[in-house]
Amino acid sequence: MADMDLKEISRMIQEIEDAAKGLIDKAQGIQAILRNADRILASAKMLKINVSDLVS
Amino acid sequence: MAIFTDSDRFWNPLLETLPREKLRELQIRKFRRIMKWAHDHSKFHRQLYDKAGVEPGDIKTMEDISRVPKVEKSMMRGIQKKEPYPYGDMLCVPLEEITAFRQTSGTTGQPVYQPDTWQDWEWWAEAWAYILYAQGYRRSDRVFIPFGYNIFVAFWAGHYGAEKLGCEVVPGGVLNTEARILKMQELKATATMATPTYILGMADTARKKLGLDPAKDLNIQRITCAGEPGASIPATKKRMEEAWGARVYDHIGATEIGAWSYECLEQPGGLHVNEGLFLVEIEDVETGEIIEEPNRQGKMVITAFDRIAQPCIRFDSKDIIEWHEQDCACGRTFRMIKGGVVGRADDITKVKGVLLAPTAIEEVVRGLPELGDEYEVVVTKKGDTDDISLKVELQPGAEGLREEVLGKLSDQLRLKTNLRYNISFHAYGSLPRYDVKAKRFKDLRKAH
Ligand SMILES: [Zn+2]
Repeated sequence: MADMDLKEISRMIQEIEDAAKGLIDKAQGIQAILRNADRILASAKMLKINVSDLVS
Repeated sequence: MAIFTDSDRFWNPLLETLPREKLRELQIRKFRRIMKWAHDHSKFHRQLYDKAGVEPGDIKTMEDISRVPKVEKSMMRGIQKKEPYPYGDMLCVPLEEITAFRQTSGTTGQPVYQPDTWQDWEWWAEAWAYILYAQGYRRSDRVFIPFGYNIFVAFWAGHYGAEKLGCEVVPGGVLNTEARILKMQELKATATMATPTYILGMADTARKKLGLDPAKDLNIQRITCAGEPGASIPATKKRMEEAWGARVYDHIGATEIGAWSYECLEQPGGLHVNEGLFLVEIEDVETGEIIEEPNRQGKMVITAFDRIAQPCIRFDSKDIIEWHEQDCACGRTFRMIKGGVVGRADDITKVKGVLLAPTAIEEVVRGLPELGDEYEVVVTKKGDTDDISLKVELQPGAEGLREEVLGKLSDQLRLKTNLRYNISFHAYGSLPRYDVKAKRFKDLRKAH
């Protein structure tokens, strides 16, 4: 695991979170977008717990 | 023996093998974060911390953490059933963000309600994925869960954790015990989860009612136990493993906390605390001092770092635990507690002035092959003295050994618990059988 680039992985996870939040901003109340984006955010949070928290 | 790479062996090697000093630093940082979250979002926590004069920003060391006020279950009961209904002031998110309701079983009083957001639910499954992966569950497993999950969280979380890991999950809810066993056989299920009591009960039913030997006729290779200490009691674990021809692993979790500890493949006589997701402190029951050294019992104070709807911060669980003196051969840096939860602080039972852990009685009873799985202990007061009666069942065919078994049983009990018992033998099958939350230990002294 020594050669894993945790900072890069963490940056990619942040991109997922930012993209999901972007979807929510643009959803204009459409539930099919809002609720699915919300689930992506929850999964992104699990990635943050498992990886990003280690480098922040 | 197979050679594992880190990614074969651990659900998340990054956390599970993190050097201890880094783990500590991470825990302190995560404690500060959840404390700030609760302080900023719940009236209950804000008042609690303000009154004690502590602020999230103050938290820089473990000692700082030990000064943060504890939360007791009675405090949670006190604020519930109020607005925002039914959770009250501990809730940290708007009500519409709650996607799951669960409650405690109410064994020790009025049930506590537990709201979770979808993120919290992902987190429950995540914690279970750590458990199951450590116990050898892989994507090829077919997991049969022989319970209707109902309003209680444990097997729901086990179900979702196994799914997250990629297992195929069979919910065996509405079936009766015979039908569950036959379904497990038909589907060639490789793993199952249940209370130790039910694992033993299913094996008994398979043999007596279906003429099946679970060790030979079923394909179960792994069993994860929940809800009772049995899988950490060596004699009970051995009985289950022999009955099923499978490896049996323990895990501990609670509705208000999360799934916080797990036994690994090494079966090291203890359970790892998932220190990436939880902070476990052990507090001396009398002095309140935090115990860092192994082999000294105290009560657990626990924090879940990432649970957001109704946070669990320095929750006074009343569970009695102790640190294991050894590191585990599996390579996890997560500390272990020895022998699981050995008792509860609110029913630490002093009988005739001697501390009695019900698990010690179980270890002796189930260590004698002539005895059945069931037993019952009743403590009463006769005049000024405590009286302990122990009811046991002889296995079918062992009736002629009564005197011999009685001698062995009372000797071993005296050796292990320093107490004398009124032992009585009962017909096989006559003592109560339980599916969940077995009540084999009854202290009737308080009722008088
Ligand atoms: Zn281990």
